[in-house]
Amino acid sequence: MMSKGGLKRKSKAASEIPSSSLADMAFLLLIFFMVTTTFRKEEDRQVVFPEAEATEKLEEARKDVLHVFVEADGAIYINDVRYTTEQVSNVIAPMYAENTGMVVMLRSDRDVSYVQIDQILKELQAAGAVRVSFYTNLEQRMSRERR
Amino acid sequence: MALMKKKNRPGGEIPTSSMADIAFLLLVFFLVTTVFDEERGLSIVLPEADNEVEVSPKNILFLMVQPDGLVNIQRGENPQIQAGVRASEISAIWRQELSNNANLIAAVKTAPNAPYRFMIDVLDQLQTAGADKISLQILE
Repeated sequence: MMSKGGLKRKSKAASEIPSSSLADMAFLLLIFFMVTTTFRKEEDRQVVFPEAEATEKLEEARKDVLHVFVEADGAIYINDVRYTTEQVSNVIAPMYAENTGMVVMLRSDRDVSYVQIDQILKELQAAGAVRVSFYTNLEQRMSRERR
Repeated sequence: MALMKKKNRPGGEIPTSSMADIAFLLLVFFLVTTVFDEERGLSIVLPEADNEVEVSPKNILFLMVQPDGLVNIQRGENPQIQAGVRASEISAIWRQELSNNANLIAAVKTAPNAPYRFMIDVLDQLQTAGADKISLQILE
């Protein structure tokens, strides 16, 4: 009787998958994702971006990307501070000196007149920040054909 | 005595078997609700400030973007201007021109009062066609 019970208990322990560490693993994953998630520092602006079919994902790390917002009325924002066009090169030059791998992401409204963009590009050139990306939303072939 | 011990044991422990389920539920919730803000766009490298390169005019394809979004095309030194080209036709034109001249450079000249999106349309077409030598200028 005793030996039979002992046998039963032993076989029961071996047949179960050890799940005591499952919670630890799940929490580790949870903490990993919570720590690695970075939230955008800037507030959202009312900007409608142009669409382009050739839109490509930028390979640069997030810390190497500087966002320059241009709103429909021509207002320029860098890190949530409004600047005039003439100030742009003075603002960006020290940032570029700190990180020469920087890419300027120009997030401009689709209806801004081109003269404004041209002035900003000249300011970026003066600051030495020659790697520029124009932020666009991916355009689907279907919507292009409909247009 | 042995029987009593067995009965006491389940009550004395905090049930942890559902902990993994709770943790995974949280994990799945965060995975699903996270929106990655991708950095995407049309990349271009501007020429450096005092490093202007002289290019023979015959290697340049001028694309003049008008305020209404239509494009006037001038091929190199040829004074003839092909007017009123739609932006969507540019990638085909570029491919054809490039097959005639492999050193071709696209000069996108945009009118100052033209909306930015028309320049992007042309740049998009050029990049779709695989152009890598693109110059952005303002139309004077």
